[in-house]
Amino acid sequence: MSRMRVVVLIIYLAVCAAFVGIMESGAADVFLEATRPDFEKIPIGVLGFQGKTAVAGSAEQVATVLKADLRRSQIFSLMDLPKLGIKVNDVDDPEKALFKQATENGISVLVWGKLGVKEADVVLDGYVYDGGNDEVVAGKRYAGPSSVLRLMVHRLADELVFRYTGEPGIARTKIAFVSEQTGSRELYVMDYDGYAPRQVTADGFLNLMPHWSPDRRFLVFTAYRSRTTQDIDMIELATGKRWTLASLGGLNITPAFSPDGNDLVFATSHDGDSELYKLDMRTKVLQRLTSNSASDLSPSWSPNGREIAFTSDRGGGPQIYLMSADGSNVRRLTYEGDYNAAPAWSPRGTWIAHVCRTPTKEYKLCVVSPDGQQRRQITAGPGVDDSPSWSPDGRHLVFSSTAEGKSHIYMINSDGTELERLTSGGTHHSSPSWSPL
Amino acid sequence: MHTRYVTACLMGAVSLMLLIGPACSKKEIQATSGSKSSERPIAKAGRADSGTAARTEPGISEQDLLKPGKDPSAENLQGDIPGDIKVAKVQPSDSTSRIAEDIRREQVATAASGLKDVFFAFDSWNITEEARQALSSDAEWIKANPNSMLKIEGHCDERGTQAYNLVLGEKRAKAVRNYLAELGVVANRLAVVSYGKERPFCKERDELCYQQNRRGHIVVRTK
Repeated sequence: MSRMRVVVLIIYLAVCAAFVGIMESGAADVFLEATRPDFEKIPIGVLGFQGKTAVAGSAEQVATVLKADLRRSQIFSLMDLPKLGIKVNDVDDPEKALFKQATENGISVLVWGKLGVKEADVVLDGYVYDGGNDEVVAGKRYAGPSSVLRLMVHRLADELVFRYTGEPGIARTKIAFVSEQTGSRELYVMDYDGYAPRQVTADGFLNLMPHWSPDRRFLVFTAYRSRTTQDIDMIELATGKRWTLASLGGLNITPAFSPDGNDLVFATSHDGDSELYKLDMRTKVLQRLTSNSASDLSPSWSPNGREIAFTSDRGGGPQIYLMSADGSNVRRLTYEGDYNAAPAWSPRGTWIAHVCRTPTKEYKLCVVSPDGQQRRQITAGPGVDDSPSWSPDGRHLVFSSTAEGKSHIYMINSDGTELERLTSGGTHHSSPSWSPL
Repeated sequence: MHTRYVTACLMGAVSLMLLIGPACSKKEIQATSGSKSSERPIAKAGRADSGTAARTEPGISEQDLLKPGKDPSAENLQGDIPGDIKVAKVQPSDSTSRIAEDIRREQVATAASGLKDVFFAFDSWNITEEARQALSSDAEWIKANPNSMLKIEGHCDERGTQAYNLVLGEKRAKAVRNYLAELGVVANRLAVVSYGKERPFCKERDELCYQQNRRGHIVVRTK
């Protein structure tokens, strides 16, 4: 049995065990941790896409998008085939010799495909080979208008991630964010790689802090529709239908849905200082969760819905606290540094990302374990980093930073490697929120 | 045609079994190969809820292929696959120009009033001695113009998080309102709003600029 098969078997065993565990316990804490340091990435090569009948350059674009997706997946180690002397691009039908050559260079998985046209549609065929064999082990055909070509490639990338890990890939997820193009700050949604931004609001003033519903159909956010008052609004993305959920007077900020979508926790100062409230989405009953003379804000739910991390300055400066979802059992989580805020609980429950002020007074990203025992700084350098939000696979964070002057949206691996800027143009981009799967 | 497709699916099942058979249960395998498209097990394993119209990106069809070169017929193309987020085109609105006009009118009225803004130290909402003097003269103007309605905007510099700065901006605006109330201004003439660091007066990154942005901005409302 080849080494590749052994790796695949081990991964599948782990995945089967993990899925059985999830089904039985209802908790997501036993998920496969493919990003642990000893995880061996699967060497993969992209032979390219034959695009004789496609628009010039589009086959190369497909290969570029696919390679970027595979690199970001952190599952695969993308091999440089030309450097190894392996012929790529416009390969008509991969020859047996290519697979032998690839195996000799330690490459387990090869991808090859075709891009063509059929009537008004583009047709993308992707084929997967592994173990040095020229037999196709999986093939997919995607067809659709050329405007969704990138999405077709993202589907192929997600298919590969699923095939080799049993986990859904994130290449088709989206990022909601705030962008200022012509003076006002509006909500936008873009692909996870920063492409295809689409404007969601056109109020002409200020909208803040979008957050996804677990079913990905809605965004909740803070709207300044009258300029003098703040509301928590909800918008249905597919229709643009919009309504107000909470309009209590004072601040109405940082809304966050519970993982089951039944409750919305947000901060409001209608009683004086900023406190956390829970709105039951079915009964519309509002329940106060925090009660003290300090400010409580920025709630983030644990993935099992039992606990909430939040920012509070009850101890002086802002620090991260944890409490049960009913507001009981409050305890302080962060002690290092005099400013820790904007917590974001990871999808696997193992880390809470947040903004931390460093000894040199820079606002950077840190992660802390929910028991407070482990802490790591993720970003460094100049600029104010803000609003960390996890990818649904827990392998990336998206955040805003003024590191290059204007505030832009960046993606980074959760271990602090591979920083990538996602936005360009405009005068300001902030408040990114990564969609669920 | 249909038979050929089923055969293709079965071939896929066999190759998958060879690859992963010993690891997963029989039930898993059937779920993987028995469905029309391999998209289905993904939905079962990883997605909590799918199939709503909102998740369908219209226009992409998907199907399994097993051999290069074989060109499946059009009937084999599957319909829309759930999984993509669709975003409706934003409704054009006239609010942008209306709001710009409202802001312009407020700016003119505020400039004409001669009302003074107040400034704060870093991370602070304490009213300084300089601010007290400014607010004393503001209070006189407000009392002398009993029909005017005012808005106190709390602003912050760019350091720190957006959310915490919204809280800080509100504390600043409320501190200004409370001090004006102490000077005898009727509090219900004073609306309070925090813009945090979202509407800075100055966009440079130095202390001079930060100082300008840590502000209680007093605005004459025009509607």
